[in-house]
Amino acid sequence: MKILIVGAGEVGFYIAKRLSEEKHDVILIDKEASKIKRVNENLDVKALLGQGTSPRLLQEAGIVGADMLVAVTDSDEVNLVACMIARKLNPVMTKVARVRNDEYLDPNLFDRELLGLDHIISPEHVLVRTILDLIEVPGASEVVEFVQGRVKLIGLNVSKYSALRGTPLSSFQNLKSNFLVGAVVRGGRLFIPRGQDTIRQGDLVYLVAKAEEVSNVLADVFKVSQEPVARVLIVGAGQAGTELAKLLEKKKIAVKLFEKNPEKCSRLAEMLEKTVVINGDGTDQELLLEENIGEMDLVVALTEDEENNVFVSLLAKALGAKRTITRISKIGYLPIVLTLGIDPVVNTRLSAVRAILQNIRKGRVISVAPLKGEHAEAIEAEALETSDIVNVPLSRVGFPKGAILATVVRGEEVIIPKGDTVVVPGDRLIMLALRDALPRLEKLLTVKLEYF
Amino acid sequence: MHWLVILRFIGLLAVFIAAAMLPPLVVSFIYETMDFYAILISIAVSLGVGVMLTALTAGEKGASINHRDGAAIVTFGWMWAGLIGVMPYLLYGAMPSFVDAYFESISGFSTTGASIIRDVEALPVGILLWRSMTQWLGGMGIIVLSIAILPFIGVGGMQLYRAETPSPVVDKLKPRISETARVLWKVYLLFTLSEIVLLAFGGMDILDAVNHSLCTIPTGGFSTRNLSIAYYDNAYFDSVIIFFMLLAGINFSLHYRFLKGNTGAFTRDPECRIYLIVVGCLIGLVALDLYGSVFESFWRSLRAAAFQVASIITTTGFATEDFDRWPSLSKLILLGCMFIGGMAGSTGGGMKVMRIVLLVKHAFQELFRIAHPHAVSAVKLGGKPVPGDVMSSIWGFSILYFLLFIVCTLAMCMVGLDMTSAFSSVAASIGNIGPGLGLVGPTLNYMDVPALGKWILIFCMLVGRLEVYTVLVLLTPEFWKK
Repeated sequence: MKILIVGAGEVGFYIAKRLSEEKHDVILIDKEASKIKRVNENLDVKALLGQGTSPRLLQEAGIVGADMLVAVTDSDEVNLVACMIARKLNPVMTKVARVRNDEYLDPNLFDRELLGLDHIISPEHVLVRTILDLIEVPGASEVVEFVQGRVKLIGLNVSKYSALRGTPLSSFQNLKSNFLVGAVVRGGRLFIPRGQDTIRQGDLVYLVAKAEEVSNVLADVFKVSQEPVARVLIVGAGQAGTELAKLLEKKKIAVKLFEKNPEKCSRLAEMLEKTVVINGDGTDQELLLEENIGEMDLVVALTEDEENNVFVSLLAKALGAKRTITRISKIGYLPIVLTLGIDPVVNTRLSAVRAILQNIRKGRVISVAPLKGEHAEAIEAEALETSDIVNVPLSRVGFPKGAILATVVRGEEVIIPKGDTVVVPGDRLIMLALRDALPRLEKLLTVKLEYF
Repeated sequence: MHWLVILRFIGLLAVFIAAAMLPPLVVSFIYETMDFYAILISIAVSLGVGVMLTALTAGEKGASINHRDGAAIVTFGWMWAGLIGVMPYLLYGAMPSFVDAYFESISGFSTTGASIIRDVEALPVGILLWRSMTQWLGGMGIIVLSIAILPFIGVGGMQLYRAETPSPVVDKLKPRISETARVLWKVYLLFTLSEIVLLAFGGMDILDAVNHSLCTIPTGGFSTRNLSIAYYDNAYFDSVIIFFMLLAGINFSLHYRFLKGNTGAFTRDPECRIYLIVVGCLIGLVALDLYGSVFESFWRSLRAAAFQVASIITTTGFATEDFDRWPSLSKLILLGCMFIGGMAGSTGGGMKVMRIVLLVKHAFQELFRIAHPHAVSAVKLGGKPVPGDVMSSIWGFSILYFLLFIVCTLAMCMVGLDMTSAFSSVAASIGNIGPGLGLVGPTLNYMDVPALGKWILIFCMLVGRLEVYTVLVLLTPEFWKK
């Protein structure tokens, strides 16, 4: 596929890296020479210097023959205009834009036809959504929803209380098959476990379960306390912080919101109803103690300054807060931050990457989520009539090594598959796969391999 | 430094070069010449070494290559290619000593075209074709070729490409570097084939046509005739070769764009315009200088001037006349051409038109700034500002180029050459031209240069072909520090 990316910031760079490693032809456009230089030195993509809204430059970049345009600059206006121009120059290409400002997304203002958008990435929205998911599943470091939220993928650190610890997976999976362990991260390496593998303390496991059974599984099997969150402290009242406060209010959760800017605080106080707005710095220890930080179920650090967020979370943990959620922008920081013990971490950029990967995967892929940074992916796809996976027992399907079928959703039914399960066309499949296995998995999902 | 990765590359290179020896092998088989076994053994040895090295380093498949590895792979790769290229010469007994054979081999790969062979016509066809083949491989670059062929680790390919490509800025024609390399090689192949057809059409012996084409497009300059192109004394051949030499001196990216249907590619490119104007003016000047003093006929002067200016400025080094006997003005112009060279991104050597244009513009900008101390201005090329780091890299390049020229000229004098021969041999080697003046003039050759002098010139040829930085950085202690 030939993909044009406008904006070589953190998101653009990361997407370009992913896609070029997957052998797509990538052309990046950015107006800053230093960013172009960074791209040229690190990635095998073509980088052009100039405005992404220049029709001449877009043409020079080969927009006419391109399959997809991804506009991910920091400016909503540039992203939207780039897509509008792209629509004129190449109506058939897929256009994805990052849009932060809600107002632009109002369907009464522009319809999508006019903007020529196929997909909008609104990172702040996705971020708030992710945080809410995490709040709903206490103890999880990652939550991804599939099939309209009916199936959840949970990333979870195995504690010493877990009943699963030390037992081979096969005994467990047969005993209680309302969940499935799809992937395990041990010592920084991610693998797809087999029946004889055991789970150890300290492992990060990814499990798939029906949404309504998640809390039971976590409580019974992993012994994670499922006490609901009652008190939340949010540091940083940016777009995401404010939106989160509003939504939590509706859920009858007590919210305290820290914001440095006094004018912003008074505006927030008018707008929010029950939230306690506090004018102050989230790294001010005295202030945190004054506001009973030790009693908090959750501290969410959402300021624009990611180093500050890390510090807020560390401080909150040290002062007795039960859980923290930390917003990080630089994807490169993720591995280091994870070692600090302030799991979970949320990242606006990864959500953007997720949305784009979804459009690139072959077959009828509905949703894609990268796991553990980028070593593996969770994929939701529809089983096609023509694919090799349907109408035979799973034990006879040549499933690629390093990939696993975690769940089959058929109508109302959610099935944790076994060897004799038969997939029928139209089923929704949730799979986990290591990156190396992705191409073969894609093939399996799309065409019948007749000469095999 | 990732030594295993470098070794792996060296191994792959040996396999490539073995493959490139196949056409000479076939030709020597058909013509039943004595060099068949020399070439066959060379193929067997380099294939054996190559396969062994790649097998031993198989674990490094897909390893990443950083800047330093890139420079090391390219420099060592070229030295290694030269070493493999020596084998057919020595096994056949075409050269009296190793240094002579290595000189000929590096002169080939670096597209210099300086020869130590006194009687080229006495050599068998297989050896001659191999000699031309080394130039053809070196012209677009052996590393670029391997990037084009190998399903390469992308970013690593970029580092290698940058270390080998003769241009201050890398022009990526395609999103992937391997695609870019492939496209350039295709254009290169197309030009070579067209020249073969045109020369053969004019009545040149088919093998000679192939050899001369293989040496024109990379701006190499090896000939299968003792008198070079002067042997034919044929206006048609002269004009075909002039045309292709000038073509080879143009940035291959422009050729690609032109062939893709962008008819304004050449005229709209500022560097190309200057290149064409400079070539035109210099041809005119030399022709006027020759008219009356060397030749009676103006057309004859123009033909000789056009051929020689095109041959030297594109750094090919073919000769139709003994320009060592020409008047001083013409000789000096040709000497100047050795430094200018072709366009950036062409197969020509020298300093490249783009660098010289930018240096001159930068110098004038300094004058402008003295007149208007508070003016804000930037050096521009074709309306686009040139980034400061590109400019300073060009300054560094030029200073190193001249420094090297001076030091090596002194060294050549020390080993016993007269002044004209010393500086022209160094200029012709760094610039990858071939023939110089005096002892190394177009009708003579490098055989009589002392062995030490040959080593100095070998170094100059490599440094010149790899654009100074790539080789010289390996000589700095900084490069080897952990």
